[in-house]
Amino acid sequence: MIDRSLLRHIDWVLIGLLLLNSIIGVAFIYSSSHYLPGKYFLRQMIWIVFSLLALFLFLLIDYKALVSYSVYFYILAVAILVGVLLFARFVAGAKSWIRFPFFQIQPSELTKIVLILLLALIFSKFRLDYMSWKKGLLSGAVTAIPVFLVALQPDLGTALSLVPVCLGALILAGINRKTFVYILIVTLLTGVVAWNFGFKDYQKQRLRTLISPSKDPLGSGYHITQSKIAIGSGGFFGKGYRKGTQSQLRFLPARHTDFVFSVIGEEFGFLGVVLAMMCFFLFLYRLYQSIGFSGDRAGVYIVFLVAVMITFQFFINVMMVIGLFPITGTPLPLLSYGGSSLLTNYLGVSLVLNVKMRRFVFV
Amino acid sequence: MKQEKIYEDLFPVLRRAKFIFFIVAIFFIFLILNFWKVQILDHDGYWEKSEANWMREITLPYQRGLISDRQGIILANNRASFRVSLIRENCEDYDKSCRKIARLLNIEEHVLKERIKKYESQPHFKPIVVKENLTFEEVAMIEARKLELPELILQSEPKRFYPFESFAAHVIGYLQELSPEEMRRDVYGERRLGELIGKTGMEKQYETALVGGHGRLIEVVDSLGRGREEVARSEPERGQDLTITLDFDLQKEVEKLLEGREGAIIVMDARDGEILALASYPDFDPNRFINRFTSEEWLDIVNSPEFPLENRAIRGLYSPGSVFKLTIALGALDLGIATEETTFVCKGETRIYNHPFSCWREGGHGEIGFFDAIRDSCNIYFYNLGKEMRIEEIARYARMMGFGSRTGIDLPGEKSGLVPDPQWKIEARDEPWQLGETISVSIGQSFLLVTPIQIAAHTALIANRGIRVTPHLFKSLSLNGKKRENRFNPPGNQVVNIDTSVFEQVIQGMWEAVNKQGTGWAALVSEYDVCGKTGSTQLISRDKSEEPEEEKEEGEEEEEEMKTHSWFTGFAPRENPEIVVTVIVEYGGMGGETAAPLARRLFNSYRKKYDRQEPTQTH
Repeated sequence: MIDRSLLRHIDWVLIGLLLLNSIIGVAFIYSSSHYLPGKYFLRQMIWIVFSLLALFLFLLIDYKALVSYSVYFYILAVAILVGVLLFARFVAGAKSWIRFPFFQIQPSELTKIVLILLLALIFSKFRLDYMSWKKGLLSGAVTAIPVFLVALQPDLGTALSLVPVCLGALILAGINRKTFVYILIVTLLTGVVAWNFGFKDYQKQRLRTLISPSKDPLGSGYHITQSKIAIGSGGFFGKGYRKGTQSQLRFLPARHTDFVFSVIGEEFGFLGVVLAMMCFFLFLYRLYQSIGFSGDRAGVYIVFLVAVMITFQFFINVMMVIGLFPITGTPLPLLSYGGSSLLTNYLGVSLVLNVKMRRFVFV
Repeated sequence: MKQEKIYEDLFPVLRRAKFIFFIVAIFFIFLILNFWKVQILDHDGYWEKSEANWMREITLPYQRGLISDRQGIILANNRASFRVSLIRENCEDYDKSCRKIARLLNIEEHVLKERIKKYESQPHFKPIVVKENLTFEEVAMIEARKLELPELILQSEPKRFYPFESFAAHVIGYLQELSPEEMRRDVYGERRLGELIGKTGMEKQYETALVGGHGRLIEVVDSLGRGREEVARSEPERGQDLTITLDFDLQKEVEKLLEGREGAIIVMDARDGEILALASYPDFDPNRFINRFTSEEWLDIVNSPEFPLENRAIRGLYSPGSVFKLTIALGALDLGIATEETTFVCKGETRIYNHPFSCWREGGHGEIGFFDAIRDSCNIYFYNLGKEMRIEEIARYARMMGFGSRTGIDLPGEKSGLVPDPQWKIEARDEPWQLGETISVSIGQSFLLVTPIQIAAHTALIANRGIRVTPHLFKSLSLNGKKRENRFNPPGNQVVNIDTSVFEQVIQGMWEAVNKQGTGWAALVSEYDVCGKTGSTQLISRDKSEEPEEEKEEGEEEEEEMKTHSWFTGFAPRENPEIVVTVIVEYGGMGGETAAPLARRLFNSYRKKYDRQEPTQTH
């Protein structure tokens, strides 16, 4: 089933960078939660092993087959999202989880992979230099459905992270600047309407807090304030591993999940932040570099969209912890604790590896 | 629109991907610059904030110094008391917590919120006392809900406690919370908002000695405000213990004598001015002030028509009445206006400056000499002396005797009274001095105002034959049983420039007043040689002193008797005097009837307790 020669074309460097970033994550998950019951770092390591296995298993299937079946995956994913909305119980104010006996998973995360495959399908036969309206509207529509369903959960962070995947596809397909501006305007208008009619109060509060976090330091501004204090007090060299007062004394909220980067900032300072960013940058660089190693158009789209998906989440999270973006509950890819996100990103990388190793096969 | 190409041309797609990656790289630089700003440029501010986050300073309360009487009986003590405080920082939802706490502690919610509002300016992590003197049940209840209410903390602190309740309340004083306004004054610079400070009496006078130093505990806390470990600790220092000159037994008797009346009694050591007993009635229970009670309750006490908070002994302004005749007698003798042999005829009434003036005895005293005039308190005799002396000299001698200025007793709020003279009248009332007023002043009426402590001090001055003592309550300060300071430093015991023989003559009159069937006969103690002088007068209210003097003197005897305040002041024994007793009973009637018998019992009690050199000098 799998050609032995394919194994030689697996990008081990990319896998290495993937693991490097994951291990950095485990280190800081340990630092910020070792005193809590639940052994989060251990669970995260299990998730890494599990995701790695999934990554390799996923490689067995030719990405072209995945692309061609993507419509069915998509229908299934939408059905699950609807099902979650109808049947799941609220966890932390949102219906985003499916519970299994030993773990739980967020179907919305895995929807990203399905969407990438579907968009790759849509654009795989598109050979124009510039975008067509037909394709543009179609890709917009297939993105809007899951965005809407996930936003209803409500999980605004994950819902928003689907949008750049679509935008990425449009840019790649050659959208002209005017259209891009139109899309931005429409997005903004939607935002205004959503602000008035669609947003829950806590979401509005979070956006307001971004503008002036000190107004209500114990309310929703607490997260941003404490995160900035953690990062700022880290200075150049940081307070030392497991010596961050903000994280060890629990002032920092969600420190092993969404705010794990603040822990790096506090305990290893500016130096740690730059090093961690460099590690992640190298990983992203390898991803973007892989675009050139795609055998076909669908492959280019897959690699690029995976890269955009991970990049976008990374930026959102890092901007969030330093107070440049509202708190939306977007985890830091690979580093934050959380199985669904980790698995999704591993599967995304798996797709990239898949495209890359099968680049010579079809000619 | 261009034709769809039939071959794969990935070049434009790859170019766009490259462009996006270029933007991503730029964005990384942008992010790193942001971190540079937060972590390097703004580091100091964030560092401070993080320190403030995890360090908590707790004040360890000190023990206020004890106050005890001269025999070591503790009048102001401390006892352990539990209080519960709110840390606003730990409230998840401030309003919800307030509701819960109000229900738990059985306080009205708005009262609780008002209380907390007073401390709005304080940082959010500082505990605010919401209830004190918790009962054991309340402590248990709060302790049981510790996890549910992380915003509440229980603390135990030593708390002022007056075991004898209202006993010597006017001397000891009371404590109250330091208000934000007082906080701004320098005196309380080291103190904290909400701390209890002495508001009157000894508690205020010796505040700086009685307070100790707060201890400080700096500890690491987590985000729920739970203490994790101590970083630094300094133990609180206890305040110095104060011993005052009061004699518990005499004070107790004084208070018993005053009970049910309005007035003041002072028992003072004639030799050095040590106050053995000082009481003002009505009084109050200082224990009530310590509870941080609501303002309504406070206003209730302040606005009571009987002014229980006023210490009449040092703040009550009275006309001295006939007691002032001693000053006139001293002045007249000293000036040579009168001698032992000077006599006047008292017909019960006389006309001076075309105005009628009467004696208190309707039929008059007949021809009366110097000693008898003091003994029988003849008004006519002193009208004549006063007329000769003129108001300027009267005022000079009054001031010499200590009237018109504070005695310097170590109690806060002492009033200085008033010695009138023509200059004062022009300045204060824009009216010239009436000669008739001089006559009224001669028997201690008119504008003349004195406090009971001034009368006591002036009595001691006479008893000591011209040596002034400063009344005081301070005996000693000690820390942990070791004496720190045991001298009261008065402004200096001055000697008054009047010949000793003059004093001897006046004292002879005073002795006769008590021992020879005079007005003070009721103060007679056998074989103790009490010398004294009575007085009867009204408490001058402002509108009353506005009235012309003549009207007051004329024919209102019966009515006035009802409202007359009763004075007695005296000392004993005659030679080597040891004790001064001054009594004023408001609405007590004639001095001889009410005040003198009270004084007698005090002379008796003092003698029983202190006078051990039995056969004393008798005359």
